[in-house]
Amino acid sequence: MNTDEIKASIKSSIARITNLDPCEISDTASYKDDLQLDSLTILEIAVDAEYQFQVKIPDELLSEIHTVNDTVSIVQRHLEMVVA
Amino acid sequence: MKRACIVVTGIGVVTPIGTGREQFWTNLLAGRCGIGPVRSFDTGAYRVHRGAEIQDFLPEAYLTNLDAAHLGRASQFAIAAARLALTDANVEIASLDRKRAGVSMGTTSGEPREVERFDDFFVSKKLELVGPEFLALYPSHVIAAHIACELQLGGVNTVIPTACAAGNYAIAHAFDVLRAGRADLMLAGGADAFSRITFTGFAQLGAIAPELCQPFDRFRKGMIPGEGAGVLVLESMERAKKRGARIYAEITGYGLSCDAHHMTAAHPAGEGAVRAMRKALEQSELRSEDVGYISAHGTGTLINDRLETLAVKRVFGEASYSIPISSIKSMLGHTMGAASAIEAAVCALACFHDRIPPTINLEEPDPECDLDYVPNFAREHSVQVAMNNAYAFGGNNASLILKRSETAHQ
Amino acid sequence: MRNRVVITGMGIVSSLGDSPFDLHASLCEGRSGIKPIELFNTEGLACSLGAEIRSFDAKKYLGGRNLRPLDRTSRLVASAAQLALDDSGLTDVARNTVEVGLVLGTMFCSVRTISEFDRRSLEAGPAYASPMDFSNTVINAAAGQTAILHKLRGINSTISTSTTSSLQAIAYATDIIRTGGAQVILAGGADELCFESFYGFDRAGLLCRSDNAAGGFPIPFDARRNGTALGEGAALLVLENAAFACERGANVIAEITGHGASYDCSRGTNDREAAEAVGLSIRQALNDAFTLPHEIDCLSASANGSLAGDRHEAQGALLGLNGQTRSLPVTAIKSMLGETLGASGSLQAIAMVETMRDGVLPGIWNLQEIENDFPFQLATPDNRHIDLKTGLINSVGFDGHCCSLVLARCN
Repeated sequence: MNTDEIKASIKSSIARITNLDPCEISDTASYKDDLQLDSLTILEIAVDAEYQFQVKIPDELLSEIHTVNDTVSIVQRHLEMVVA
Repeated sequence: MKRACIVVTGIGVVTPIGTGREQFWTNLLAGRCGIGPVRSFDTGAYRVHRGAEIQDFLPEAYLTNLDAAHLGRASQFAIAAARLALTDANVEIASLDRKRAGVSMGTTSGEPREVERFDDFFVSKKLELVGPEFLALYPSHVIAAHIACELQLGGVNTVIPTACAAGNYAIAHAFDVLRAGRADLMLAGGADAFSRITFTGFAQLGAIAPELCQPFDRFRKGMIPGEGAGVLVLESMERAKKRGARIYAEITGYGLSCDAHHMTAAHPAGEGAVRAMRKALEQSELRSEDVGYISAHGTGTLINDRLETLAVKRVFGEASYSIPISSIKSMLGHTMGAASAIEAAVCALACFHDRIPPTINLEEPDPECDLDYVPNFAREHSVQVAMNNAYAFGGNNASLILKRSETAHQ
Repeated sequence: MRNRVVITGMGIVSSLGDSPFDLHASLCEGRSGIKPIELFNTEGLACSLGAEIRSFDAKKYLGGRNLRPLDRTSRLVASAAQLALDDSGLTDVARNTVEVGLVLGTMFCSVRTISEFDRRSLEAGPAYASPMDFSNTVINAAAGQTAILHKLRGINSTISTSTTSSLQAIAYATDIIRTGGAQVILAGGADELCFESFYGFDRAGLLCRSDNAAGGFPIPFDARRNGTALGEGAALLVLENAAFACERGANVIAEITGHGASYDCSRGTNDREAAEAVGLSIRQALNDAFTLPHEIDCLSASANGSLAGDRHEAQGALLGLNGQTRSLPVTAIKSMLGETLGASGSLQAIAMVETMRDGVLPGIWNLQEIENDFPFQLATPDNRHIDLKTGLINSVGFDGHCCSLVLARCN
């Protein structure tokens, strides 16, 4: 799966979870400060990404997920680990 | 017309550190810890593995009318605690007007193992193995209903499932029922069984500590799920005196509030907790200076313990520093719907015995939690008034106040 | 000295409409909400009908707010709450000056969410369980979610007493207002239709079978009845301290004058004990309302087609009303709404208020031959015209709980 596909999928999940329009979800917008999402919602986004892509992200890295780009890159890294 | 004074005349508990008032109280004061590896299901796929389960519980010892095989685990605990409380109160069921004796219980999950069993069969495509017992055993109202059936009590029968504050809610309701003259005697408390669903959820929230529950400690890492039941016998002072009952304490009032803020996170300024404490004091016609001991909600999570400390300071001001406040969750883990019921029992016993339990595992003070949490060792302490605080998912906050009964000490 | 408690607003979401007016019109026209279930697959089950709220869309009531955190039950409750608050005139602004509480009755609340959360954890592993769904696995979730959405900072409680939950919630809230613990409380109940609870009732043999005398529909009090049909819904009343309501110029609809409750320790297995428990509940409610049996103008029965339950209620009513049931008009709206579990009692209360308004008591749909020894001469399939000043509502659970409420019209 390429980066764009992962990104589209994640944005679609975020839209579903937050009721935001996918167009309003920029790649670099901060979940917390720009999109005003609380910690439960951000955790839900992270777990949903793990579930969708069947990867397991360690707790320490979960706390580094602040934007769509962060989410995509962590998922991608772990997908590569699975394949390798 | 002055409203009836309501007192606690019996205490029954089933906990990870002991069953029955005496064993529990002795172990509590000794700082015994009921936390260990989870045994009721395989935690291999989880990142955490510890809980406060009750080992070797034999429900048959407490059952005369009902069959343990037709009762969920929380109901078994609840019935045991109810029987123990009635015995402790020296109440002969035969002497009761059964239509005026009722039950009010709190719970978080009801009977989770029944829905877990449903799910196990569903997932393995054997749902046909789930029969009529699912409806008979699962819905949360059965916890109070089963007590009534076992003891044959036909009065008010209510379950208030307000999660981790449920015990206080149930006791408050029983208090109101008695004062309204709708019952002569109420069994009130809470019960919850160890639950895979609850464990999974809290684990997903990152809320479960890997080893111990360390409320108010600087390096606390979270809560530890537990299970158990606590039941109080409540009646009017007049009735208690008339039958020569031992009176542990008087319930003077309660305060309920709702944060209306977030499902799993408390209000950041402890707003709801503050209101609940103030309402309890107001209803009790007491001042904050009167409170001599606080049983904290004290789950051991970073946020709860900090916010709870903040809320106590807002209510009690400078005096907070001289009111001992301990969390027995350090020993019992978080027994969910049973927690505040067991903690209410502890407050009654504190008033009765002038002793307060410790917060164990408190090794490193946290600058943001700088009150007297009775670290590690129980203490003799004169307790005229005790406050019991509980906070739940959904923003349900409840404070209950108990007062030493002068009658008890004559 | 106790405060008087009045109803100043009502909100409902049901299979027969989302306004008390529409509900009443449907009941009086003999329109049933019980239809083949579309929400889930009923293959292999004895019953395939339910009073489902088709095309329920919470956005219609709650606007563009993010509803993802709320499951179906919470959405039903939050929607009914919006409607009730609008009906009572307690706007956002008004709610800044008075704390509004919420007491919700529910039998299961979120059993579907609980189950789905657990099943995903079993199938995919606990690391993939949904944190957001977990917050809805507590039985007070709907009450909590609704309080957050509508900023209800007063007393918030959840009552679970089987199918009597909403009536008991109303009773609980009434007592709090009577003793000055609150000025305004939203009280009522809700339950959603879902596979998990439906399966439980089906396997317990409580649902009417598709091949029954009435084509698979429940027929309360009928000699041919063989079970109930489940429904879903949410119904909330705005209860207020009468003096406060008067002060703010609220429209006072009716008054709650009394309530009673008891428990049948035989859990419905002993006819005599079950009837006595119902009788006790009724008597307590009448005493609490300072009302005599002959002053009751009608009974809204809990009867839902249950073989044993309907019998116990009939016999219990005879006891509780001191035999004075001969000229008592009786309705049983579960004939059209189904057994809505946590919502049932509050739906009955709202339906009764509508009858107080226009004097039409809905008939019991499909009733053809009332059971021989049931003491209700005036339980009929046809509507009746009555001058309803004081009404009695029963909630009789299938496994022991009984609750009764007395409502008085406010002119």
